[in-house]
Formats: sequence, structure tokens, C-alpha cells
Amino acid sequence: MAPRTVAPFGPQHPVLPEPIQLKITYEDEKVVDVVPAIGYGHRGIEKACELNEYPKNIYLCERICGICSCIHGISYCEVVERLWPIDVPPRAKYLRTIWSEMSRTHSHLLWLGLLADAFGFESMFMQFWRIREKVLDLLEMTTGQRVTQSISVVGGVRRDIDDEQKKKCIEVLREVRKESEALINVLANDYTVKARTVGKGVLTKEQAIALGCTGPHLRASGVKEDCRMQGLQAYGDLGFEPIVEKDGDCYARTLVRCRELLQAIDLQLEAFSKMPEGEIAVRPKGNPPANEAVYRAEQPRGEVFYYAKGNGTRNLERLRVRTPTYANIPSLLVMLPGCELPDVPVIVLSIDPCISCTER
Amino acid sequence: MGIINTSRIKSPWIMHFDNSSCNGCDIEVLACLTPLYDVERFGIVNMGNPKHADVLVVTGPVNRRTARVLKNLYAQIPDPKMVIAVGTCACSGGVFHNCYNILGGVDKVIPVDVYVPGCAVKPEAIIDGVVLALQKLSKALGVAK
Amino acid sequence: MIENIKEVKKDELLAEVKKFADAKARFVTAVCNDLGDKLEVTYFFNMSPGMEMHGLRMTVGKDEEVPSTTGIFLTTVLIENEMKEMFGLKVKDIAIDFGGHMLLAQDSPVTPMLKTGAAGGKGGE
Ligand code: SF4
Repeated sequence: MAPRTVAPFGPQHPVLPEPIQLKITYEDEKVVDVVPAIGYGHRGIEKACELNEYPKNIYLCERICGICSCIHGISYCEVVERLWPIDVPPRAKYLRTIWSEMSRTHSHLLWLGLLADAFGFESMFMQFWRIREKVLDLLEMTTGQRVTQSISVVGGVRRDIDDEQKKKCIEVLREVRKESEALINVLANDYTVKARTVGKGVLTKEQAIALGCTGPHLRASGVKEDCRMQGLQAYGDLGFEPIVEKDGDCYARTLVRCRELLQAIDLQLEAFSKMPEGEIAVRPKGNPPANEAVYRAEQPRGEVFYYAKGNGTRNLERLRVRTPTYANIPSLLVMLPGCELPDVPVIVLSIDPCISCTER
Repeated sequence: MGIINTSRIKSPWIMHFDNSSCNGCDIEVLACLTPLYDVERFGIVNMGNPKHADVLVVTGPVNRRTARVLKNLYAQIPDPKMVIAVGTCACSGGVFHNCYNILGGVDKVIPVDVYVPGCAVKPEAIIDGVVLALQKLSKALGVAK
Repeated sequence: MIENIKEVKKDELLAEVKKFADAKARFVTAVCNDLGDKLEVTYFFNMSPGMEMHGLRMTVGKDEEVPSTTGIFLTTVLIENEMKEMFGLKVKDIAIDFGGHMLLAQDSPVTPMLKTGAAGGKGGE
């Protein structure tokens, strides 16, 4: 038997922008065991949410994760609205949908760039991030911030998109779609990319469900499940269909995200054309009543689960957030053993890990 | 030493470490390296290895587990070194000030030279912060910038 | 109000969870609540494929031991460890036991999520 070596992967590692540690045991080039050690990003947000008043938690929840921040803020508002319940005006629903999809666009572009970087395709990384800046500019124009938008408030949204901005958005989004299509063509058909991703980290449909995977990771294994299917916000009107691939390997996960990226742009364009006029927010009356609620939304990385419990005061009794990476990490324990050492970064990246989400 | 000090100022190598930030500032640090902002045109190069770095860019508040890692990294960077705290929460704890696992800003653990506030910081501000750190470094070394 | 929640006893938990596993449901998460002298744990499952969610709720005393569901769903490893750390819920035989230091460091406050736990503020200062 070849000697075994244990290598720590992280917490500070060039491939990972975030601190997570994987203790990898390998024989020659083959990985035999992994133990994830997390906790480097734990802050204690759930407790802090009990200490703050409920309108202030929006900012805290957005900062659970800076990449999917917009959807975190919206989901928090939605779950608190369900405690009363409050009905949000239709225009606000559309605006929330648009901003959700916009942040999905930027997140998927970011991920595709990081993936290209993980196998050393540096110029592709730069190209994806160049396009991403255009989407960030749109976010800045419409919400006032590039990354943490804090656009949603309990009862609606904080800002409206006027006609001039709308025109600009549509124009830029068309441009982004065209440019990403060209890049995706390269990424999806390139020989080297295929060599690094096809057949790596395979997860079957049964395994994926048993391990509780979510999001693009689950859909790449052939399970048709997406929280947007619930038809909340404006998704019911937009004729949304989830994107599914069959193979369950890294390549399938890449394809799902590529197609979702284009779909997200299409959904935004459609939402812009159907957006009704009207109010953008209602004022909540009194404090959140003593009640419980759950809300699930689809983030770029998968399903996020919010649970809130009110007690009639301005503070919440309990808030629990289960983020997508929290559900996806156990699948690494199945995918990594048996793979080659150089494939570890690609496989780890293929679940689109977001550690600050996981640990809160 | 003249030439080494001059090149230190003209082409600083930075290393980025993420404590327990929300990622917002990390992706902005990364965005600095990409075509729109492209700090490499100023000679600033991103490094993965602390032993090669001159400037340590820290994002996020210090929590009880990363404090040890941060001290360790700081000790590995050769002198003279600069530390830049990027983001409100790296400066003071920011929104996370009342979380039980947070010790506070980066300056609770290692000395900080430049504070860049903003939640999330804009890439322009980060570039400004690096420039400020370099001015400070050149003054300390007695090199004209 | 949350729909489809079923109250179960501690001893029935594993049998009920097994039913979900047989039905090919996907484990979503568990939520622990501090009720003062008792802990309330709710397990959520999604009936895959689809978007229907069901829950199992049990109420246990703070010093009662509860069985681990990791034998049925491996993915509950993280959440059971978390509940153990944050609430001091006594879960027996977790498949991978982090020993109370999965998220919390050695010098972090103990069981911080209990209502009597650390109030926060610069690391409990
Ligand atoms: S300063 Fe704000 S955006 Fe930056 S890491 Fe901290 S919380 Fe996130």
C-alpha cells in the first residue's frame, strides 16, 4: 500500500476566496478521505437577529452572504411579512423578482469565472468578470449599491425603477446576453474544459436526494426541483421552467448554470415588459404577531430556508436560516473520495461553496 | 537596498485574507484584479503565499477562530509590511458588533496601517487605500515616491 | 402558521423519519427553539420532486437524550452538531461528531443560542 499523506486544503488557499478547511488524506494521487473543518466564518448572526429590532435585521441578513445578499434581504422580508400576513403590492413583487434575477446573473457570471480560474483558464476568468461589471453597474444604478443592495423592506421595496432606467437595463441586459452566449459557447465546447469536468464528481439522482442537495447541484443530477416553481413573487406570471441536466458531473453543473444565466436574463426582460404600475410598498401595522412562518426561495446556489417566530414585540423570538451550501457540503463527502488530487478544486468549486453563508 | 526599496514601492505584492466577512468585500477585492479596475497596471500583484507578500489586505471582522490564523499569517510576512483593513466590519466590527463570536475589528489582533471604510467598499476605495499604504511605507523607508 | 406539521414523541422519531426516507423525501433542515424549560425541535422534509414540505415536531426536556437521525439521512450531521453546540441538545451517536466545536471555537461562549446565553456584544464583553 502506498503511504498515506494528509494535506490541509485551506483555510487560506489561493483557489478559495473564503476560509474553509478540508483535511484531505490521499494515497499517491488518489483521495481516500476528507474531513471538512468549518467554523472560520461563524459570527452568530441568528442570535444577533434576536437582539436587534426586526426592521434592522434586513441589513444583518443581507450580510450573511455578500454574493447572494439581495435574495437574503428579500427572503427575510418575505418571511416576516408572512407572520402578519402582509400582502405586498404587485409592482413590488415584480421589482423583487427583477432584482433577484439580476443578482443571480451576477452570481452565475462570478461562478463561471471562478470555475475557469480553478483549472487555470485565466483569460476566460477575466472575460466573465468583465461582463459581470456591467450587471453590477445596473445594480448600482437601480439600487445605489454594487454588492449589498438592501433594497427590500418589510412591506415592499425601497426604490422604484423609472422608465429611463428601465430602458437602460433592457439595453445592457441584451448586450450581456449576447456576450455571455459567445463565452458559454467556448466554455461548453472546449476540449480542455471537457477533459477537466466530464465524469468528475458524479452524483446520481438517488444520492443527490438522499444527501439533501439543492439548487443547480440537484438539478444537474436530473431532479426537477426549484423554489421558483412555487410561483411566488412574479414567477407565477413569467412561465418559469426549471433547467435540468442528467449526468450529475461537474460538466452538467456547469451547463445548468450557463443555461440558468441566460434564463435569468430572459426572465428579467420578460418581467420588465409585464411590470404593472402602482404602489411599491405598504406600511406594516404594529409589531410582528406571535406566530411562526417558513419561506423558501431559490438563490443562485440553491434553496434558502427562512424560519421566523414572532412574539408580539419588535424583536423576533427566533430566526433560523438554512443556506444552500449548508445542504450541499455533505455531498462532498461522497464526491471527493476516489478522485484525483488535481480535481479537488474543481469538484469543491462545482457545488459553488459559500462559506460565510454556511456558518453565519 | 536602494533598488529593493524602490521596487517595493513601485510594485507591491499583496495578499488577501478573509476573516469571517460576508464575502461582499472579498468579491470587491477580487474585482480590483479584473479588467475594469485592473490594479496590475500599477504593478500591484496578488499573491497566495504570505512569505512573498508586502501588503496584507484583510476583510471581515475577526472571530475567535480566525484570530489565530491571522496572527500566524501576519508573523509570516517579512518586514517591512503594511496591513490594510478593508470594509467597515474589518475596521470596527460593523454590523456584526453584537455577535457573540466576533472579537471586533482587525486591530484587536494585529496592528493596522490603513482603514478603508465602506460596506461593501467600492473597488476605487480599495485602490486608494493601497496607494495610501504605499505612501506611508515610502515615508518609513525614506524613499521618494 | 406552518402547514403539515406533525407532533411526534421522542421514541417515534426514528420510525417517522424512516417513513420519509422510504418515500424518497429530501431532508431540508431542522429548527431548534428554546421554550424556556424545554427544547422544541422541528425537522423539515421536502417531498421530492416537487415543492411540498412536511415537518415533524418534538418537544424534549433540556437534559433528555435524543436519538440521532444520521443513520437515515447522512446530511443531518451538520445540523445535529449545530443544535448540540448552540442549544445543548443531547444528541446520541452522531455519525461524525465534532465534539461541540464545529462552529464554535475553544474560547467561544457555550450554548449561546439559549435565551439565557451570551447576550453578545463584542464577543460577550
Ligand atoms: S464591510 Fe460589509 S460588505 Fe464588507 S465584508 Fe463586512 S459586512 Fe460584508
